[in-house]
Amino acid sequence: MGEFVSFIANNLADFWTYTGFCNATPGHLVMILVGLFFIYLAISKEFEPMLLIPIGFGILIGNIPFNIEAGLKVGIYEEGSVLNILYQGVTAGWYPPLIFLGIGAMTDFSALISNPKLLLIGAAAQFGIFGAYMIALEMGFNPMQAGAIGIIGGADGPTAIFLSSKLAPNLMGAIAVSAYSYMALVPVIQPPIMRLLTTKKERVMRMAPPRRVSHTEKVMFPIIGLLLTCFLVPSGLPLLGMLFFGNLLKESGVTRRLAETARGPLIDTITILLGLTVGASTQASEFLTWDSIKIFMLGALSFIIATASGVLFVKLFNLILPKHKRINPLIGNAGVSAVPDSARISQILGLEYDPTNYLLMHAMGPNVAGVIGSAVAAGILLGFLM
Amino acid sequence: MLKMNIYKRILTGLFIVLGLVSCNQHDGTSKILLNEVLTDNAANFEDDYGIHSAWIEVFNKSYNSVDLAGYFLKVSNEPGDTISYIIPKGDVLTVVRPRQHALFWADAKPNRGTFHTNFTLNNGHPCWIGIYDSGNKLLDEIVVPALKTDESYARVQDASKEWEIKSGSTTKYVTPNTNNQTIEKNEKVEKFEQHDSDGIGMSLTAMLVVFSGLILLYIIFRILGKAIFAKSESTKQHVNMKQEETTNKCAETSSNEVYAAIAMALHEEFGGVHDIESNILTIRRVHSPWSAKYDALRVIPRKKQ
Repeated sequence: MGEFVSFIANNLADFWTYTGFCNATPGHLVMILVGLFFIYLAISKEFEPMLLIPIGFGILIGNIPFNIEAGLKVGIYEEGSVLNILYQGVTAGWYPPLIFLGIGAMTDFSALISNPKLLLIGAAAQFGIFGAYMIALEMGFNPMQAGAIGIIGGADGPTAIFLSSKLAPNLMGAIAVSAYSYMALVPVIQPPIMRLLTTKKERVMRMAPPRRVSHTEKVMFPIIGLLLTCFLVPSGLPLLGMLFFGNLLKESGVTRRLAETARGPLIDTITILLGLTVGASTQASEFLTWDSIKIFMLGALSFIIATASGVLFVKLFNLILPKHKRINPLIGNAGVSAVPDSARISQILGLEYDPTNYLLMHAMGPNVAGVIGSAVAAGILLGFLM
Repeated sequence: MLKMNIYKRILTGLFIVLGLVSCNQHDGTSKILLNEVLTDNAANFEDDYGIHSAWIEVFNKSYNSVDLAGYFLKVSNEPGDTISYIIPKGDVLTVVRPRQHALFWADAKPNRGTFHTNFTLNNGHPCWIGIYDSGNKLLDEIVVPALKTDESYARVQDASKEWEIKSGSTTKYVTPNTNNQTIEKNEKVEKFEQHDSDGIGMSLTAMLVVFSGLILLYIIFRILGKAIFAKSESTKQHVNMKQEETTNKCAETSSNEVYAAIAMALHEEFGGVHDIESNILTIRRVHSPWSAKYDALRVIPRKKQ
């Protein structure tokens, strides 16, 4: 009887070594708190819920402590585990282009086509990427890591994941979480900078309504856009190719079902898988490092630089534009991509100072130009540093 | 008609661009290359049987796997005595992974396995080696000079054009079944670290490219927009003029009696259809991209009361 009791006790003791309670470290608990905070932000504050819920829950999944030595094949970094298989879409870089396909299929480039000079705002906002790149180099990161960190300033989650998976796979978790966190915090980060850099007179500036864009122009935009940008930067092909392909599905008018799938079920599925696995990749042992903290700081800086450079560029641009063609600097922030949230910030801030001044349509121009600009910038970094 | 013209112009432009680009084409498109050869093996790499034989290294320079099954290795130790070895099918090991190598033993013992050929290489004499695909198309060839014992004749780097004799020194080492030059550093990154430690050069270059790309797009769409607008305006004017002409002509030729007769005929034709109305009103919603996009947006973050 005594032997049997000791057998049961040994079994229970053995089982205890497999439990999360036994294997938990302070790092796991910190990361679980971070995950819970993300879920709180998503549900209570409604900050990017479609991203923060999967990422937040992914962080919980990725930080359930278990006995790594046991070879249970449950962790995201254990080859052959289910999470590891799902994570391959991130490491091999095929989730981001599929997200771009969906973005292309849901984006209307009319504002940009009707007023193509707004493209330049999208280009100017990419200073955020290279500002962060320079600061990252100063902080001791090597050029490849600095390039991957800098892309956070492009405010484009899929682009950040795509580039970091190629240039600095070990930093990808921190970069992805940082990029998505700051995208969610766009309503908090951007307005103070926009207020700081504009005068009251500039904020109420009215822009001429965009002209009507013909179907031919809409069809030609993705084709010319692809040929031009990809001939210039072929390394941006996976992202730009899918973005423009998705847009052609939408604008051609004859592939409605394909466009519906790309901007509906497909992008939703990939968003779920991407968010969950990126969240799960933040396993405490891999994620809680000084580098991650530095990356979060650099991410914030890159967003600030990108927003400021967009707004300042518009002000500068206005100096050479005729009076009737001047641009409201409040749409300068939209060049940082983060579609469509940064454009909505322009709209909300514009309405705050003049309830009849609707800037959303105008801001969508630099906003989608920012998507193109950040994908081009990612291609350049990949070409130079890979 | 207008669309047709625009498409025609675009196609013409594309052909011109393609024509310009095609002027810049270059040769050397073969994926499979001969990469290194050792003709006299005394103390170099040994095969699975522990025997030192001459070897030929093949390199897959592409980023795709290539199956060598059915390919030919041909050797000519003397003019006119070419020997062919067909790489057998059915062995999974003949699939060469991207940027990887395959090593063939020139030991005239093909029954020892797929990678043992039916020929040997002449020690101390020049020889010609060629590799052909299954369609007997020459992919790569090399004339190997007379080599000393344990010396190899190899490309300076994998797939590079230049060949050199590798004698086994610290800089020119023999590398069977592996890279001809070990890559210990990332040259691009080192260059940036050396010349652009603060990242200003990179930032300027990259921003220049981003701006150039988007400025080009801006110019094209500005011109295109203007052209399409001008064309549609002229078409509109043309249509208006024609309509006016027709109206004037009709006014001149038709009398009120004719109009009345037409109206009566139309009434008779369509009048019966509407005897009983369905009383159902159908409102066709006009699709607006802005409203559609708005549907996809999340709700504005708000403070809870």
